[in-house]
Amino acid sequence: MATTRPARRDGQRRAGDTHILRRHSRRRRVAGGVPMAVNLAPMIDVTFLLLIFFLVTTTFERAEGIIASDLPDVGVMPAVPLPISPIVVRISQTGPGHEDYMIRIDRFEDAPQDFEALPDFLRQIQQQPGFDRQTPVVIVAENDVRWDHVVNCWNAVLRAGCQRIAFGEP
Amino acid sequence: MRYRRDHRRESSVLAFNATPMVDVFFMLTIFFMLVTRFSSAEQVPMELPEPTDSQAQVTKIPERVLINCRLADIDDPLGRTVLYSVGPNRPEPISVISDRLAAMKRQSAELEAVVRADRRLHYADVRAVMRVIAENGIEMLNVVAHVGEDK
Repeated sequence: MATTRPARRDGQRRAGDTHILRRHSRRRRVAGGVPMAVNLAPMIDVTFLLLIFFLVTTTFERAEGIIASDLPDVGVMPAVPLPISPIVVRISQTGPGHEDYMIRIDRFEDAPQDFEALPDFLRQIQQQPGFDRQTPVVIVAENDVRWDHVVNCWNAVLRAGCQRIAFGEP
Repeated sequence: MRYRRDHRRESSVLAFNATPMVDVFFMLTIFFMLVTRFSSAEQVPMELPEPTDSQAQVTKIPERVLINCRLADIDDPLGRTVLYSVGPNRPEPISVISDRLAAMKRQSAELEAVVRADRRLHYADVRAVMRVIAENGIEMLNVVAHVGEDK
């Protein structure tokens, strides 16, 4: 026997209607029985390609920076002797090894034997009468000194706060 | 009724849950995008100076010429053959580099020189470049070194 449910008027709800409504809303999420979802496959493909690209191209290297200096303009005016007696730092190579070098400072005994202690030594000189941070510092390196030591010396003079640095002929 | 419910549960779609994998991919991709630095062609591989407590700073110079000074054989420091090159160009004699610097200086008065030299070179090798830079009227000389750990 086929029974028909009587038509309901708006606003009327029966016991058990809540269950029917829930089932109805669940059906709306799955339209036509096919789950509605974003197709993630292309995005995963692109992300995977990007990941492989960065994995292959990335090289972990230390950052490079620059130490700046002003060069004298040799074309306009000739080199003139410095008016103030400068601090002359001399570097010489004493052997083939990386640590085989020697530091000498004109007119000052007991110069440090590594670049780590050089800034403190220069600061002590700056405390003496007639010297300050404006006193020129001339770096004189012999021809066979490694470039690493020259840059290290330059860096140490900068660390000491010296503001006028020059390179002298060996 | 119970039978029908169980049947529906059994016929649910078996799918691979890709969400955690996508999350990891995204994390890795973002990480590599942030840490990657594309090295320029003019940065020829070499051992740069590593000063103690380096005062070198990462700065951009608008008008610059980069001169690479390196050993011919990077693995043979005793070979003592030094190659000089301007930017990504091939190695050239110092006289040709001097001509290049003169032409560039004529085009730009504010030109600065950046010397990128191997730490194992002798001072005399780099001094030859410094002299050429000064002779061509370039007053700003910058030397490339490794940046300190805290910068």
